Amino acid sequence: MPMTDNSAGKTGAAPEGVRARDRLALLTADNAAVPLPAGVQAITAILLAVLLIALPWLGLGYRFLSIAITTLYTAIGLYGLGLQFGQAGIMSVGHAALMGVGAYASAILSVQLGFGFWTSLPFAMALSAIVGGVIGLPTLRVGGQHYIIITFCFCALFVVVLTNGGTFTGSATGLDVGSVTPLPGINFDKLSNNYYLVLAALFLALSATYLIGNSRYGRTLRAIRENEQLARSVGINVDLHKLGVLMVSGLFAGLAGVLQLYYLRHISPTLFGAFPSLYLALMVMLGGARYLYGPLIGAVIVNFLPEVLNLDPVDSRIAYGVCLLLVILLLPGGVGAGIKNVYCAVRGGLEKQGGGTNGRA
Amino acid sequence: MRQLGLGLAMAAAGLAMALQTANADEELPIGVIAAQSGSFVSAGNTIVGAANLAAQQINDAGGIKVGDKTYKVKLYIRDNRTDVNVTIAAARELVNDIGVKAIWGTETHDFSVSMAKITGPAKVLQFSGNSSLGAVLDDKAVAEDGWLHYAFQSEPQEWQRSGSTAKGVLSLLTPQLKSPPRHSVVFVGNDATGQYLSSHYVKALEAEGQKVDLVQYPPDTTDFSPLLTRIKGMKPDIVHFWYNGDSTLTAFPQALKLGVAPSYFLFGVDPGIYQERSLKADVPVTMSCVPVCWGSSPYPEVKQYFDKYFGLGAAKGPQSSVSLLYYDYFFWYAKALEKVGKIDDPDAVVAELLKSDYKGVVSPVPLVFNKHHQVTFATEVCMVEPNTSDQFKCAVEQPPAAPPPGDNGG
Repeated sequence: MPMTDNSAGKTGAAPEGVRARDRLALLTADNAAVPLPAGVQAITAILLAVLLIALPWLGLGYRFLSIAITTLYTAIGLYGLGLQFGQAGIMSVGHAALMGVGAYASAILSVQLGFGFWTSLPFAMALSAIVGGVIGLPTLRVGGQHYIIITFCFCALFVVVLTNGGTFTGSATGLDVGSVTPLPGINFDKLSNNYYLVLAALFLALSATYLIGNSRYGRTLRAIRENEQLARSVGINVDLHKLGVLMVSGLFAGLAGVLQLYYLRHISPTLFGAFPSLYLALMVMLGGARYLYGPLIGAVIVNFLPEVLNLDPVDSRIAYGVCLLLVILLLPGGVGAGIKNVYCAVRGGLEKQGGGTNGRA
Repeated sequence: MRQLGLGLAMAAAGLAMALQTANADEELPIGVIAAQSGSFVSAGNTIVGAANLAAQQINDAGGIKVGDKTYKVKLYIRDNRTDVNVTIAAARELVNDIGVKAIWGTETHDFSVSMAKITGPAKVLQFSGNSSLGAVLDDKAVAEDGWLHYAFQSEPQEWQRSGSTAKGVLSLLTPQLKSPPRHSVVFVGNDATGQYLSSHYVKALEAEGQKVDLVQYPPDTTDFSPLLTRIKGMKPDIVHFWYNGDSTLTAFPQALKLGVAPSYFLFGVDPGIYQERSLKADVPVTMSCVPVCWGSSPYPEVKQYFDKYFGLGAAKGPQSSVSLLYYDYFFWYAKALEKVGKIDDPDAVVAELLKSDYKGVVSPVPLVFNKHHQVTFATEVCMVEPNTSDQFKCAVEQPPAAPPPGDNGG
């Protein structure tokens, strides 16, 4: 299901004489060759929801479920990155640090003030959003690879600060928290309940991403992504929207970070360093940042590939590298785009076959 | 007659099957979670190597007699791929899917702590070597309702190891230097273990009268020359490469080239590795092993152990001696099970471990867990003669009786 698919026609190659606003409309339109019908979108969503809800009942074991939880909270963080990269075109290789801001905010609130999961969650998400906005300030002046380097620097600096933060951040040893505060009748120490908690958060992230992608705000972001100068010329407040999407992305990252914290119940700086950040960037590119299910697909591939193929970390990195090369060469829109292309090809073939048969008949 | 014969034959077969079932060994499922790939592999392999050897020896000796049953150790070894998420998934699998009674591992603090949050509520015993667990093993944590009640630290308390190491290093180096050493620089990786270990070692050196400077390097550093040049400017008498033998083996040759100090101490580098790599220095170099060296074993039983350990195919690495931190505890755990008389009473096993002792390979003195589930044993420190790779002089240093001033012991 494409959230927005502009991969088919990019860069303002509009006919001469077309006014700026019309060119903008052309650029931001859903250019997918064959838009998926609403019915297909609905069926996909229902099937996915049923599958995810039924997962703990399939008897796949605790190991599988544990990795599924890791995959889901990673995907939540990726939806933030997907919004800022896929919609607004702002790539980051320091996104794990943003998750770390949420995780550490929640852990510090727990250790210092006794806050639980539910009470610390809004503060942690808000802080991640604010930090996301602050890191985003340089995007008002620089973009592309310059901003990517800035996010990488932020990530490195964040780890240094945490590692040398004394008892406040737990230094390199990190911080510990208790379990998720139970709700009436729901104890989150039970792994399946923990899974459903993370799954509920994923559904929220998915819904928010869908709504943003199909809103006026989403179209504005895509306009900025495709041609910032053009967007500015038609009166869009580019700076405000850029900071806005980075803050929204920070909200997602904060949520993911808190979920990660309460799943592991122990965090340390290494979880939010350069490697985890690069993996997040890899996942979003593999899955497809512009597709609704792209980030989830990317998280599934990276988390489950070593498990399914029994790859060690070195082999895994080689496999990820090969996958990324293949995606760049063959599926520039990510695996999400590939799946959609396959669907379109099959559907087109069936329609053609159906028409030919009827004709012959 | 034919029917009678058939009936007798069937009865005999049934009896034989029943007897076979009665005599059949039961399995005692034990988990091992360690890095068999990734950056912690050299430490992780020691856990697996020790577990394989201990399980083989226990099973070859007939198994563990618990009550009226005999149990053979069945190991479930899981590679954590040096990834905390895989560690958690493996712990969930071993605890919830397989139902192991105890888990050995992991090799690093963060992973062990996260794992304890799974083993604790499930009442599965956990034997982890990390001395940094001392930071969290307190009265509250190990109480009956504490989250570390079922966790045991198979490595000595860090202030003990730091104390015995500092004493051993200084006693070996002092006669080699023109004047007694006064100024030490501790060079350590800036990660969880490095920070924890060096905090104790600095205090231990200060207690021995040293002026100490601490210089930290980022984890995964490969070019140490800028920091080593800085250290050279401090004019130290001894540079202590503290923690992470793999990094030390990279940094030490660079220090020799730069002529950073008149003497060195290499923590966690075994004389066996020093010899195998044909390392040489024109100044005295000391090294220590955790707990005793495989390249220069002070006790015959230790030598026998390492012969068997390497005989099973374990790699000879800078951290091979760490395997001893996991080996003895299999036999101690087995002894506790036999005493308790059942395998499904973890509370009784914990109580038995806390009141019993065990004389194994790691120490000539029987091991005893203190109230915080930690053991005490000595450290071996060796010195290699200048310009040689194989002339070692070793001493086994006993730990101090109390933490040095300024060290809270935790």
